Amino acid sequence: MPLTLLNSDKAIPEREKHTYIKAPSENILPLSNVQTTPGDFTERGCTYAGCMGVVCGPIKDVIHLVHGPIGCAYWTWGGGTRQNLSDNPGFHGKYCFSTDMQEDNIIFGGEDKLYKSILEAHEEFPEASGVFVHSTCAIGLIGDDLSGVCKRAEEETGIRVIPFNCEGFRGCSQSLGHHIANDTLFERVVGTKEPEELTDYDMNIIGDYNIQGDLWAIMPLFEHMGIRILCTFTGNASVDEIAQAHRAKLNLMHCQRSTPYICKLMEEKYGIPVVKATLFGVEQTSKALRDVAAFFGLEDKAEEIIKEEVAQIAPKIEAYRSKFEGKRVFIYQGAPRAWHWINMFREFGVETIAAATTFGHEDDYAKICERVNDGALVIDNPNSLELEEILTDLKPDLFISGLKEKYLAYKLGVPFINGHAYEKGPYAAYSGFVNFARDVEKTLFAPVWGLIRRGNDA
Amino acid sequence: MYALFGVHAAVPLVHGSQGCSAYPMRMFNRHFGEPVQVAVSSLGEDASVFGGKKNLVESIKNVIARRHPALIGVITTCLSETIGDDIDGIISEGNYEDSKVVPIHTPSYVGSHVTGYDNALKALVTNLSEESEPANAKLNILPGMVNPGDVLEIKQMLDSMNISYTILSDISETLNAPLMLPKPPFTVGGTSVAELEDCAKARGVIALCEHAGGSAAVYLKGKYGMAADTICPIGIANTDRFLDAVCDMTCAEIPYSLEQGRGRLIDAMVDVHMKTCGKRAAIFADPDIALALAEFVTELGMEPVIVSSSTASRKFLQKAKSVTDGEILNGRDLYELQRAVKDKEVDILFGNTKCTPIAKDENVAFVRCGFPVYDRVGYHRYGFMGYHGGVYLTDLITNAILEWGERG
Repeated sequence: MPLTLLNSDKAIPEREKHTYIKAPSENILPLSNVQTTPGDFTERGCTYAGCMGVVCGPIKDVIHLVHGPIGCAYWTWGGGTRQNLSDNPGFHGKYCFSTDMQEDNIIFGGEDKLYKSILEAHEEFPEASGVFVHSTCAIGLIGDDLSGVCKRAEEETGIRVIPFNCEGFRGCSQSLGHHIANDTLFERVVGTKEPEELTDYDMNIIGDYNIQGDLWAIMPLFEHMGIRILCTFTGNASVDEIAQAHRAKLNLMHCQRSTPYICKLMEEKYGIPVVKATLFGVEQTSKALRDVAAFFGLEDKAEEIIKEEVAQIAPKIEAYRSKFEGKRVFIYQGAPRAWHWINMFREFGVETIAAATTFGHEDDYAKICERVNDGALVIDNPNSLELEEILTDLKPDLFISGLKEKYLAYKLGVPFINGHAYEKGPYAAYSGFVNFARDVEKTLFAPVWGLIRRGNDA
Repeated sequence: MYALFGVHAAVPLVHGSQGCSAYPMRMFNRHFGEPVQVAVSSLGEDASVFGGKKNLVESIKNVIARRHPALIGVITTCLSETIGDDIDGIISEGNYEDSKVVPIHTPSYVGSHVTGYDNALKALVTNLSEESEPANAKLNILPGMVNPGDVLEIKQMLDSMNISYTILSDISETLNAPLMLPKPPFTVGGTSVAELEDCAKARGVIALCEHAGGSAAVYLKGKYGMAADTICPIGIANTDRFLDAVCDMTCAEIPYSLEQGRGRLIDAMVDVHMKTCGKRAAIFADPDIALALAEFVTELGMEPVIVSSSTASRKFLQKAKSVTDGEILNGRDLYELQRAVKDKEVDILFGNTKCTPIAKDENVAFVRCGFPVYDRVGYHRYGFMGYHGGVYLTDLITNAILEWGERG
């Protein structure tokens, strides 16, 4: 079957290009990274979400000041529903900084208010290492000179004051916001500080946001190998760590949708090579360790660690596998996790019968289509009516998605895992894989599903 | 959105960028534990330059074709308002067959979330209510931004008095829906569009939250000459006053069951007065709820030393002066609240989940209330309003004080 049109999409036939059922020896990818059909009940967010919410938000020691009316700051306060953990919880994510633009500011301009807000925030929190100013829709339209104000404020305060032009209306999804954050952090931060000392084993982990402590499961593996993590971009990162990132010998890229930009820029300017990695599941995590070890010449050490880690969890994973084998999952994630997790589920004998992303690009869909079996549905930017149709008609045993889709799945009686914010993570690396399996077991076999009463279809 | 979720088969259509729908949806999911469906016109860079008309027209067409809703509420944003889209004009040009389409102006740079709810209710009654004969004996109740449990308490009181009424809008079932398969296309419950049209015929209207629904009540009173009042029935005196107003408007009498309910609340308050009397309370809530809570904690023998709301309002300030000699924070943020909590030697704090860090930092007893509450479950199910809701609130308060005492 080639591209297909779901029943719920009869009135918006352009969705056919985004909806593909994989067939043998075809070279088709669903259309992606284009404007959403207006009014189609998309689950997508905005450019501001990608910049402030995803990439910048996890940076733990700066004031994230949202320049705009209060709504945008309020909804992203503390990372919204994202749980980007840091070791600075007394400050990071605790407060909500906004210029709180009012109607007269929109009419007469918000530059003065922004300037005063930066100084006031700095005065209240002098220990913060910088101020990141995130621009919102209204600001983009009224044309405040963000760079000028930030430059003046930087001179006044003596700390970094960096503008991000991430107005929500730019781009077609969160994706452009990732790009803007990458470019701005590269231009304004990377390379502005030298590390006190360098080793031959310095590496950055790029594109991990420390969701429920993922990095704290990942980093020890590399550290035991003898590698020093110079910078984590941007989970639990300080702005100084990002400033020193240019001295690493290698960039390990985890989220390959939100951070290929900065990896490319660092490769071009500083000659830092990139290893792309998936740090979910046993096989993929082991491959990542081996790839990194091969670069640094630490192969023996890596094998030792892999052997030890795998031995620890193998019996548990085998037990889960016997319970999960033959189950069918629908994966809907931002982008890379959709393909990261197809292979992870395969380790349990769980087949991905449908996969979707919110803001994936062609390369994401190429990886998804390569990994799923024939007959699987691959759909770009699915809207809530399509999701309901897929969950109802394909009847997956498990749906893995985010909060916005969680209660839809529950109301349809479908077991669900929150893959964005997690249930009880971390889910990365070996120990995280066991957590993940534990949560999958909980939802798959919860007795409550069996108590639901099914009436006749109206 | 809050207002539209209480209208049966209604679809909120956000005219703006995608973050403006995605972010609020998550907060509704978290607080209510319910799926919510929101459409967005997905304004991009082109629309920001050339106007959003094309996106809006296409959105309405697509929503109608795929969902056949009874109502679409077009909700504006900073983006569409700053571009200057004439949504009233654009909407009036269309033909929507069986669906009603109502424009609602809610840019974030004017007022607060409370303003948005108030504007939505006013837009609904202004656009949908129709004068027609015969008048009926119904009451219109505008609950404001309260929980499904609160609406349920109100409905149960009115049912016990055999009064017919229309709740504008009624989230009691739509945001606390049962899991029964097959899932209906639209959640059961909510105010019907027909009821919204008929609300003109009612004999009276009571807004439970003047700031969130009061404008619609004023409109109904002015346009159709019905009796109008605003009372937030939290606590003994406020609930008494609410029931008196209901009786005045409908000539109903207070049944014995409600007298018993009142007695039960008094009984609960007497049982715990040794725990509650003398405690110093800080209250953070939307204006009307904050005032009513301040009155109730006073009935419990507490001293409301801080009464605060993030929505700036002259009326709130005025009324707050009559319920407290303490500090009034009018349109202030939680950073200022925390400072006040430190200064005033507070024992117990009332507020939503965003106040949890303050309660921890300052080591005070904490009662969760308002929206959003997502660090505990179930708060949407139960109401503070009415005598029965007062019992629940009394227990919450006392248990919070007891737990605080055990913490030391």
